[in-house]
Amino acid sequence: MASFIQLLVSGLATGAIYALIAVGFTLLWQTSQTINFAQGEFVMVPAFFILEAMYLGAPFWLAILIGIALSVLLIGLAFKLIIVDPMLKHGVLPLVISTIALSLFMKEMVKNLYSSNAQPFPALAPPIDLHFFGAVISTQSLVVLAVAISAVVALHLLLHKTRLGRSMQATAQNPTLARILGIPVRRMVLYTFLINAVLCAIASILISPIYLAKFINGETLGVAAFLAAIIGGFNQVRGAIFGGFILGILDNLSAAYLSSTYRGAFPLLILIAVIMWRPQGLLGRVEERTV
Amino acid sequence: MTAVLAVSNLSKYFGGITAVDDVSFEVRDGEILGIIGPNGSGKSTLFNCVLGQLTPNEGEVRVDGRVTTGMRPCDINRLRVSRTFQLLQVFPQLSVRDNLVLAGQEHQGSMYTRLIGRADAGLGEAAGQMIEFFRLSHLADEMAGLLSYGQQKLLDAAMAFMAGPRLVLLDEPAGGVNLTMLGHLRERLQAYHAEKKATFVVIEHQMEFVMALCTRVLVLAEGRVIAEGTPHDIRRDPKVIEAYLGH
Amino acid sequence: MKRLAVIAVAVGAAFAIVVPLFLKPYGIYLSSTWAVLTIAAMGLNLTLGYAGQVSLAQGAFVGIGAYTTALLMHAGVPYPIAFIAAGLVCFSIGWVLGYPALRVQHHYLAFVTLAFTTLVFLVLRNEEWLTGGTYGLSGIPRPVLFGWSTNGPVRFYYFSLGVLTVLATGTWWMLRSPWGRAFIALRENPIRALSLGLDTRRYTLMAFAIGSSIGGLSGAVFAPLVQYIEPLSFALNLSLNLLLMVIVGGSGYFFGPFIGALVAVLLPEWLRFIEGYYLVFYAVMVMVMMAFCPTGILGLVERIVKAVSVKRSPPQPALQPEGTSP
Repeated sequence: MASFIQLLVSGLATGAIYALIAVGFTLLWQTSQTINFAQGEFVMVPAFFILEAMYLGAPFWLAILIGIALSVLLIGLAFKLIIVDPMLKHGVLPLVISTIALSLFMKEMVKNLYSSNAQPFPALAPPIDLHFFGAVISTQSLVVLAVAISAVVALHLLLHKTRLGRSMQATAQNPTLARILGIPVRRMVLYTFLINAVLCAIASILISPIYLAKFINGETLGVAAFLAAIIGGFNQVRGAIFGGFILGILDNLSAAYLSSTYRGAFPLLILIAVIMWRPQGLLGRVEERTV
Repeated sequence: MTAVLAVSNLSKYFGGITAVDDVSFEVRDGEILGIIGPNGSGKSTLFNCVLGQLTPNEGEVRVDGRVTTGMRPCDINRLRVSRTFQLLQVFPQLSVRDNLVLAGQEHQGSMYTRLIGRADAGLGEAAGQMIEFFRLSHLADEMAGLLSYGQQKLLDAAMAFMAGPRLVLLDEPAGGVNLTMLGHLRERLQAYHAEKKATFVVIEHQMEFVMALCTRVLVLAEGRVIAEGTPHDIRRDPKVIEAYLGH
Repeated sequence: MKRLAVIAVAVGAAFAIVVPLFLKPYGIYLSSTWAVLTIAAMGLNLTLGYAGQVSLAQGAFVGIGAYTTALLMHAGVPYPIAFIAAGLVCFSIGWVLGYPALRVQHHYLAFVTLAFTTLVFLVLRNEEWLTGGTYGLSGIPRPVLFGWSTNGPVRFYYFSLGVLTVLATGTWWMLRSPWGRAFIALRENPIRALSLGLDTRRYTLMAFAIGSSIGGLSGAVFAPLVQYIEPLSFALNLSLNLLLMVIVGGSGYFFGPFIGALVAVLLPEWLRFIEGYYLVFYAVMVMVMMAFCPTGILGLVERIVKAVSVKRSPPQPALQPEGTSP
């Protein structure tokens, strides 16, 4: 029982991180039909921004700010202006291909510019273990949970309680109508890209201490984002959050109780199962068949 | 005698908007039914629900007595129901002849025979006949994308007729076509109707086209049927006049 | 324009046949690699260029084909049977994989194939008893066909070229049949195609399954070429590379894969001086291409040829049907 609680807590922690990544991914899809195959790399790269800043002498807290700023600039603003905007007029497929190429670009750049070896990354909390009914829970997990959940709650408040957030939702659901209502659609779409950059940066800070900063992190994280978004329901933010948590818990449980060499397999099988029997995801709405 | 097409209590909503509201009607064998109504009255949505492009929220569609609600467009087409489109008509990278062969090939044999058999699926002659019928012979090997708008409309109709359908739904066939071509199109439609005894349902805006072609007319406004009758009667119906003038 | 294409193909074919005369053994080995990659890219072109679906599993199918062939050959099965088995296995897996994924929208196949590639890698790496795990399978022999040994760089090159020619001819023939017309319809106007009775789902699935089986056949030639296979060769990177190959060559053009594979084989050689950055260069090239010329190299060539021919002869006035006044 104790180990189950441990796994549950660490699963929730990992799940929270997955949720952040999946939410950003879903937001991009909803507002601008962008299927971002580089989402995993978007989570891999900020850690290296931070490491480089620290290498140049900045203290950890400053490096974090620099990292987030660079993320917003590069994987938010630059991504939208340089890659998404010119590509969208050619259709969804060229954009998908571009994000695939972008993921390769980012991976190889980090490998060549920085290192192909795994880099240790400082944790947000000192590694103290708390004892709770015989279960050992690290402060690390709790901090991760706290930060991730705060981010998700903050996002929720933004989207539902502020005028800006409601405008963004309107843009996501019906851009033409939003435009008629006077909402600056282009700016709203830009904001989703910036928000995604921030979410990815936060996820990066939370996950790199655990997995170490490696240039190939993007592959597994990207897959996790897609899985979470699809399992939860591709067309809504709630689904992405739900999917992320489910994925995190299942991932940890399966690694412990099932074979650990097939650690990655269980969520993949769930994905295939969901696509077969409930393609709209566990929380999604059934979408109109257009063809 | 079962109606060729029977629509019962069909409704379709998009979020808060009711595009089609409890529409029912029948189309009898050999009829040419016209569906008219001001913009936004739900005509195209109705078509899309009947043809499987959209799934209605309520109601039922039957073709020759057989329930087709929710079937995919390709399966409905196999029941010898075909359509023309307002936009998105032909395959621009294929020749006129190839467009017609494509229109008929899925009704010949099986997937397997289509792979092993002849490159034109045995439809070379039938395509040639259709080209002649629509007087497109000198364009037969041109890329469909190079044709004028009116010619593409003719090709669109030809493609709809290629598989010898029982029921043809035409979505604004006259839209954007010049007068001479329009007369030609209407004459070809009437000739096909007379020869093959097919049943037509036509959505149109252009009154003269509808009056000249259709035997019976249905009027939609705001998703609902507001009048039904011969073209002559419809013209004089005060509800219809109000629906058009009121907008 | 057609005549130009025929001449270009004839020149290319002639070049492909005589090229071993001018190359050292390493160069001939690269040429065989080109042939193998072209086969795999040709299969992916069917899925992507003709049916419009993104598959990130082509590399995994090459792997499945390679391992199937290697294991069967080690068990004493004659090569031609192993070859066919590789194709059939990949066709079946492609069908089973694609069936649920293609029932829905939103490029779900991309995600499913991404997941599948990872799964295949895990199986290849973990099931040591079957696949040799991370140690891989070695000692894969070069096949002997009707008494003629393919051992030796030039011989194997002609063998791989022969397989490529046969498969290319088969694919060409399929694209000339009503299936080819259906694929074009699927790509250009799926809504119209559906309304004409064309089962878009079935044709898309067929394209994906056939494309995947051709990937498997590519693996069946790859295994005896390199004679030692291991799981890492078939991980996600290979699928990404193949995808980029098809795009760069020109997705949807029959000879696109040939060009794309050529670029993929030559680029690392030419860019050796920038070492690890060649993939960066490749990725940037693809992104630039997507922005300005999403139709790839052959698309660019077509545009240029069209522009030149329009300059030569001005366009005709709009065509009219007979019996109507202009």
